[in-house]
Amino acid sequence: MFPDLRRDLAFPVVGSLIMFAILVGGGLTYQAMLGGSAERLVTSMLIDAVMVIGIQIYIGNTGVLSFGHIGFGAIAGYAFAVFAITPAQKARVLPNAPFGLADVAASPLTAVLVALVVTLVVAAIVGIGLARSGAESGSVSATVITLALLFVTHEVATNWTELTGGNRVGLSFGIGDTLDSRLPIYAALAAAVVIGRVFAQSRSGRLAKAAREDNLAARAMGVNPLVQQMVALLISVAVVTVAASLRVYETGTLLPNQFFFQYTLLTLVMLIVGGRNSVTGALLGVAVIAAGRELARRLGSDGFEFFGIGLDGAPLDWIFREGLPTVFLGLSMVVFMIVRPVGLVDDWEFDTWLFERLGRGAEQEPAPLSEVDDAPDAQLVAADIDVRFGGFQALDGASIEAASGEIVGIIGPNGAGKTTLVNVITGLVEPTAGTFSIDGHHLNGVPAFRLARTGLVRTFQNLRLFGSLTVRENVETAALIAREHRVGRVLPNTDALVAEAGLWDQRNRRARELDYGNSRRLELARAAALAPSFMLLDEPTSGMSDTESITMIEQVRHMAATVGAGVIVIDHDLNFITGISDRIYVLDQGRVIAHGTPAEVQADERVRAAYLGTAAIP
Amino acid sequence: MLEVSGLTTRYGNISALRDANVSVGAGEVVGLIGPNGAGKTTLLGSIAGLLRPASGSVVFDGNDVTGAPPEVMLRSGLALVPEHRRIFTDMTVQENLKIGGVTRSADERAELLDEMALLFPVLRDKWDTPAGFLSGGEAQQLAIARALMSKPKLLMMDEPTLGLAPVLVDAIFELIDTLRSEGRTILVVEQNATRMLGAADRAYVMRSGEVVVTGTGAELRERSDLFDTFVGG
Amino acid sequence: MTGLLQNLIDGLGRGSIYALLALGIAVIFGVMHLLNFAHGELITVSGYASFAVFQSGWTWYLVAPLIIVVSVLASLLIERVAFSRVRGASDFTLLLTSFGVHFLVSAMFVMYVSASVKSFPRPGWVTDTYSVGSLSIEVFDTVVILVTLVTLIATAALLQRTMFGLSLRAAAADFDTARLMGVRSDSVIRGAFALSGLLAGIAGIFWLMRAGSTTPTGGIDPMLKGVLAALIGGLGSLRGAVLGGLALGMAEVLLRSRLPAGVAPLTEGVVFALIALLFIFRPQGLITVAHAERV
Repeated sequence: MFPDLRRDLAFPVVGSLIMFAILVGGGLTYQAMLGGSAERLVTSMLIDAVMVIGIQIYIGNTGVLSFGHIGFGAIAGYAFAVFAITPAQKARVLPNAPFGLADVAASPLTAVLVALVVTLVVAAIVGIGLARSGAESGSVSATVITLALLFVTHEVATNWTELTGGNRVGLSFGIGDTLDSRLPIYAALAAAVVIGRVFAQSRSGRLAKAAREDNLAARAMGVNPLVQQMVALLISVAVVTVAASLRVYETGTLLPNQFFFQYTLLTLVMLIVGGRNSVTGALLGVAVIAAGRELARRLGSDGFEFFGIGLDGAPLDWIFREGLPTVFLGLSMVVFMIVRPVGLVDDWEFDTWLFERLGRGAEQEPAPLSEVDDAPDAQLVAADIDVRFGGFQALDGASIEAASGEIVGIIGPNGAGKTTLVNVITGLVEPTAGTFSIDGHHLNGVPAFRLARTGLVRTFQNLRLFGSLTVRENVETAALIAREHRVGRVLPNTDALVAEAGLWDQRNRRARELDYGNSRRLELARAAALAPSFMLLDEPTSGMSDTESITMIEQVRHMAATVGAGVIVIDHDLNFITGISDRIYVLDQGRVIAHGTPAEVQADERVRAAYLGTAAIP
Repeated sequence: MLEVSGLTTRYGNISALRDANVSVGAGEVVGLIGPNGAGKTTLLGSIAGLLRPASGSVVFDGNDVTGAPPEVMLRSGLALVPEHRRIFTDMTVQENLKIGGVTRSADERAELLDEMALLFPVLRDKWDTPAGFLSGGEAQQLAIARALMSKPKLLMMDEPTLGLAPVLVDAIFELIDTLRSEGRTILVVEQNATRMLGAADRAYVMRSGEVVVTGTGAELRERSDLFDTFVGG
Repeated sequence: MTGLLQNLIDGLGRGSIYALLALGIAVIFGVMHLLNFAHGELITVSGYASFAVFQSGWTWYLVAPLIIVVSVLASLLIERVAFSRVRGASDFTLLLTSFGVHFLVSAMFVMYVSASVKSFPRPGWVTDTYSVGSLSIEVFDTVVILVTLVTLIATAALLQRTMFGLSLRAAAADFDTARLMGVRSDSVIRGAFALSGLLAGIAGIFWLMRAGSTTPTGGIDPMLKGVLAALIGGLGSLRGAVLGGLALGMAEVLLRSRLPAGVAPLTEGVVFALIALLFIFRPQGLITVAHAERV
């Protein structure tokens, strides 16, 4: 569940509670300074904080922009209100409540549970829809679906007056029936922060973030992003449900517009300004925006008078006006999108920082890994593969085989079908004809994430690292999958793999900050951490100089040996391929035109012709 | 006419092109050959303004145009036939050509259209066909004609024969010959090294992001070590 | 049968306005991949401008062209101030930017004009009807349909016959390649915003004529209709946007008159839910240019 219990559970819990204490302490101080008038404001901010963390859990971990979370909030709010309002009060506000709800009496806690069930069922359905639409980081279609949810919820709330009281009357609690203590809010906020942080560090959260960074690479490593997105959505919506119930219980009234565009804007601005990829950022954003909005509200209505300091507002009249709070929100959103879209803290987390300072202690570079010589034997066979795109025959009866422990090279000129072959083997392209199997298991048409779990991991020609995760997190993500799906293999120590790749000194840097050679080595280490039976390396030397390519040979050999994997390597560089491979296949125009040891292939005239053009060199 | 010196281009932290020096004189046909991943497309993209070089300079016709955006490069007289042709498939053949001549006056565009109709009879027959319906060979001709519509001083082509049947490859090389005989200046990236060396006045061989060998077509064809250079000997 | 025909004509009138709005949204999505939630604000801005000049005694004959001018200028201004600074940014950033601009503009009206409804006279003929057989047709709808038809024909001619139109289509299909041909990214994007503003202006005339008033949040409704219609048509497809607008208008009228009384007000919700379902089952089919190159 957690790679490191102290870093991923103990520190996040403690760190969350400290952040909770700071936010609450700040609120109480403000309240003490300004007295009763600030009480509502602070209460409201604390509930907003729960809501924003709920939203952060989904948007931050999956990268999918949701406009719909306030829609979930509306569903939750109505479910809560309809159950929590006393029958006597319902006789007044909802005389025609359907399904016999008018007579239902439930405690607020029961009402929250009902709201959870109702909202989570809706979330599950929406989640299936999002998955069906192929939601991934930044996809417009997913955002539109969530926007539809917000809108539809609002329409239903406005028009289903028997249940919701509609736009004019709305719902209201009886006098004295509303929330009279802050304790539930404190409890919910503390829980929300802890849940947000612990989820982010959990297996599920880490896999979701991997898919957020690079969907394709995550799938190729065995992550099913749709499952992780669903988990994130359900947890996120559960927190939102609690926040919405609190909001309704606290205000005592409920109108459709309370959970619509305006609240969506407020919560999104809070999240975006603080930093959507971080729980710390979400809390910071809540505090900054709540304070800014309050300042704007005061300036807008009273002119510049604050904490007893009065200035003549006349020269600034043009800005101290009604509407200033919304201008502030809109402006914050636009300015941050233009100047700093990652928000104030980006993905910095308080507890991670705390752990690095206090919890980590001195670290020793791990000892080198020994090579595995008793890995189970495995056999990869691609037989008579045909691939046709429209009228273009990309592969024409190509066959290759590889066994664990050996390194097999595939070369061929541009357009020979190498990449198509890689895509067939990795499940991205389904062959028109032919079979592909590992150890006799037919794997045609098996989705990429299943293939990876079966033991085939690939690297990408254009490098697909999880850019904003650290070097260590990149490797750990793979190890999480290995632990679950590669049972029975030797699972290498992740820190040792990082050291093996020569990245020990850079273990806490973001992957996107690495230079090219180090990025390649990290990708290799990440692949090895999956404890694969086969590693498929797609153009591992592209963009490297000759000397870099040569040092790569030893690294690939050694990495593969430490996990006992066979290697299939595709490259245009004959020098590299002959240096590294035990056997070589030469592809041209979709066919295997030569096959043998490096020396045999180098001497083959057909290979020369394929490389230099149709006519041989005189 | 074109003087590229010390050009280095990166994608993120990957140096796809390192310290490349290439020159093209007026009226020359120059080939650029090398294996997949050698940086040929990056070099053309950096000259045409699609990519911003990290260092080095591109001097064209005496003006330093390093790092200018593509629409400015085109106006200075550089046209690129991009890799994979990238014709506008929803627009007709004629509309594609008109876009190619967007920088020209209406009269000049009309003249150029007539010129292209003569030079590319295949296209004339499909003037009002959406370009998406063209065959691979026709689409490649359209991509070249579209670039010629800007009356470039230098025409650059990226892998014009990629994915074409051998007979169509012949047609493209014939076209290069025709264009050369019209006195046009051309820089071509090509996989088919042997054919390219036959068609070019001079050629550069690239490998791993660097220009490694240069010479006239005839010189390079004499070199028996070309294969090794080409594939990494 | 007559009832259905009546519905169709009513729907066509309503849908024509939506088509113009959707077309403006699609034009911008095409070149910038930006789903413009601030599109409705053009009508808010025009509405306040109209209110101001009505105060000084202008009539609709003068106000109508003014609305178009104001809408075009506002569109260009919003591009210059906000959207030009996020060109080429991620979809995430683009969506939130336009969401923010939408609120910013409407809040500025609250701040600088008024939070209350501002009314102005509606032309007398807006409510007139005439009869054809047993059909009762609004003069207003007739004018809307005719003007929309002319506008669409003119827009089609612009897109097909002029170099600007060709450049716009080329840029929407493949921005980088269009630039390689010499199409200037600045002019094509500004042109797209101008065209979008022009179409919104024409739609705005009718919208304001029918409403007879404007409020700071008055942009939400036209924005939603336009976005919905553009989504139905497949974001970025111009033809689709027009058809989407007409379909939305028809659907509204049909649902409103055919659905049981309790459900009828839910029309827009039903339409939005259907769109969500379309996206769920055919995400690629709907977002036709989702993979096209951007600036």
